[in-house]
Amino acid sequence: MSMMLLKILLEVIFLSIVFLHITRKNYDAAVAYGVQSLAVVLVIVNAYLQNHDILLILIALLTLIIKVILAPLFFTRLIKKHALNISVNTYLNISATLIMIVVLSAIAHSSKLAPITTLIPENQTLLALSLSAMLLSLFLIVNRQGAFSQIIGILSFENSIVAFTLLSGLEQSTALQFGIIFDIIIWIIIATTFISMLYKHFGTLNVTTIKNLKD
Amino acid sequence: MELLIIISTFLIAAVIGLLTKRRRLIESAAIIAAAIALTETIFIVMKIAAGQTYQVGKLFGIDALGALIILVVAILNLATSLYAIDYLRRETAKNIIGVNRPRQFFILLNLFSMAMYLAVSAQNPILAWISIEATTLSTAFLISFYNKPSAMEAAWKYLIINSVGLLLGFFGTMLYFVSLLHGNEAGLASWQNILENAGRIDPFIAKIAFIFVLIGYGTKVGLAPMHTWKPDAYGKAPSPIGAMFSGALLPVAFYIILKFRVITDSIVDPIFTQNLLIAFGLISIIFPAFIIMVVKDYKRLLAYSSIENAGVIALGFGFGGLGALAAILHMIFHSLIKAALFYLSGNLMLKYNSAKIENIKGAIKVLPWTSSLFLVGFFAITGAPPFGVFFTKLIVFATGFYTHPKISALALFLVAVLFIGFFRQAMLMFFSEKPTDITVEKEDFSLIGPAMSLLLIVLILSFYQPAFFQTLINNAVAIY
Repeated sequence: MSMMLLKILLEVIFLSIVFLHITRKNYDAAVAYGVQSLAVVLVIVNAYLQNHDILLILIALLTLIIKVILAPLFFTRLIKKHALNISVNTYLNISATLIMIVVLSAIAHSSKLAPITTLIPENQTLLALSLSAMLLSLFLIVNRQGAFSQIIGILSFENSIVAFTLLSGLEQSTALQFGIIFDIIIWIIIATTFISMLYKHFGTLNVTTIKNLKD
Repeated sequence: MELLIIISTFLIAAVIGLLTKRRRLIESAAIIAAAIALTETIFIVMKIAAGQTYQVGKLFGIDALGALIILVVAILNLATSLYAIDYLRRETAKNIIGVNRPRQFFILLNLFSMAMYLAVSAQNPILAWISIEATTLSTAFLISFYNKPSAMEAAWKYLIINSVGLLLGFFGTMLYFVSLLHGNEAGLASWQNILENAGRIDPFIAKIAFIFVLIGYGTKVGLAPMHTWKPDAYGKAPSPIGAMFSGALLPVAFYIILKFRVITDSIVDPIFTQNLLIAFGLISIIFPAFIIMVVKDYKRLLAYSSIENAGVIALGFGFGGLGALAAILHMIFHSLIKAALFYLSGNLMLKYNSAKIENIKGAIKVLPWTSSLFLVGFFAITGAPPFGVFFTKLIVFATGFYTHPKISALALFLVAVLFIGFFRQAMLMFFSEKPTDITVEKEDFSLIGPAMSLLLIVLILSFYQPAFFQTLINNAVAIY
């Protein structure tokens, strides 16, 4: 796969997270996560084309089934079931959010972090993009007031780490990758179950209004 | 072989819970699994103390500190299973939980214990990460066990904070694999492989990686400022689970941090990791010291005490030398005492139906055994002589006075504040006038026996440490 195509895939991952910051519709967020995961699947396929490890195809297939098909399906069903289409607010307004996105992207591309982004020198741009995606995902988790957005943020963070490790040559044995994917599927099931339970108990997914815990 | 038996036993006990609704069978399976696990663990511990290496294939192995930690996990798992049977029966009788809930409890408890064994014995850092993540997944529903809004919120907070923390830890973990980037050791690389090739890691990357690992696994340990999930989770989870969190999970997660520390110290000046551990240790003592006087819930009080003790352990490892030895002992003592305190808090909960300190009056007259043991545990955990924690805290701070006198003095002052705060709260619960509507009943051994046994073990270990125990401690200090 050409470097140009890889760059496009990383840009898709990065832009999907920027989109997650901007969108106010949970349904769009679920779709954006699916698209982002599809880009990750293609990055895994790229790793297969380089290593010719047939198990990587299995990993790609599993990722496709779990993250591209099942997870967005879970999420859209959840959104429909509880009529959660509109996401709750962010702590920062849209302008401040966009400024933060620029700042975090600049940090990821800064020379200070060059030892990390130059693990494979020819992939520097790609690794810097992955690092930006990681930082933006973390920011998404803390900036959004909705439990659903927090889930998407965590999963985006995980996708960004996967992309980073694949492009930096740090990927693990396929057996361990199966273990990680197994963890992720269980995590998705548990998190979506909790979302349902939270909604049942509180009638909202806005974490700022869920305040039963006090000293 | 022993490790395989332990893992299989936990799995079988969990599967039995899935297949049947017969409560006695599920309870028996949990007790038998815990007893087998403890027996097999003792065999493992004795082998390691005798100087043998314990390795199961390429994927699993246990060193001296790992042996001590799995011994603690095994003891607590048995004590918790024994305690939980009667505890949950009483909660069922009071209609606090449904008749089928203990089934869920024991299935998840077995999976939780299994995950902790795997985390300690995993020879590959990613496998260790997967196992630690599994502890989060297996316990989230135990925190929301009572199905109340506050429990649900605590469980959500736990799930989100720990998941983010562990992903940060995962990224840090992956950065250590830079050491194998251009070699042939990729794949199921072990801690040892990474250590042997650590020289290939850029010192800057090693520092970044350790910061991520410390924040990630430190979240699981409950080190401040990543501790925010802890008081909520401990406060809302059933008391036996609080015991497992504080007593078993804390040392397991700390152990992973120490594994990475060894690698990092071989790349950069050890002062880097020392300073980080000291900083996080001190912050972990500062936070509880500020809040201890205003805590209104006795299970949260125990949680803040756990954060403080995690801080003392971090300080001990940070100061190094004798401090590290004291930190290991402190870790063991804290686990046993804190688990006992959680069981006893469960007894208070059963009697008074409240976790609020203001609602617990005259406990010494209502539950004399529970109250007396709680006071013993309180004095033990706060570092009163003759308990071992007195000596471990003394050694940690004395070591610190040589290298970091101001930090040690501050930490010592804060520990004294915590003692006063804890003491004040305990006095309010035990020595006030008993409410007229609370009747005095005979306390069953099933509810006080596990706590009594753990406190007895601590008392014995405070004065006499068997040869195998000393060998393991010394070997652990040599590595960590």
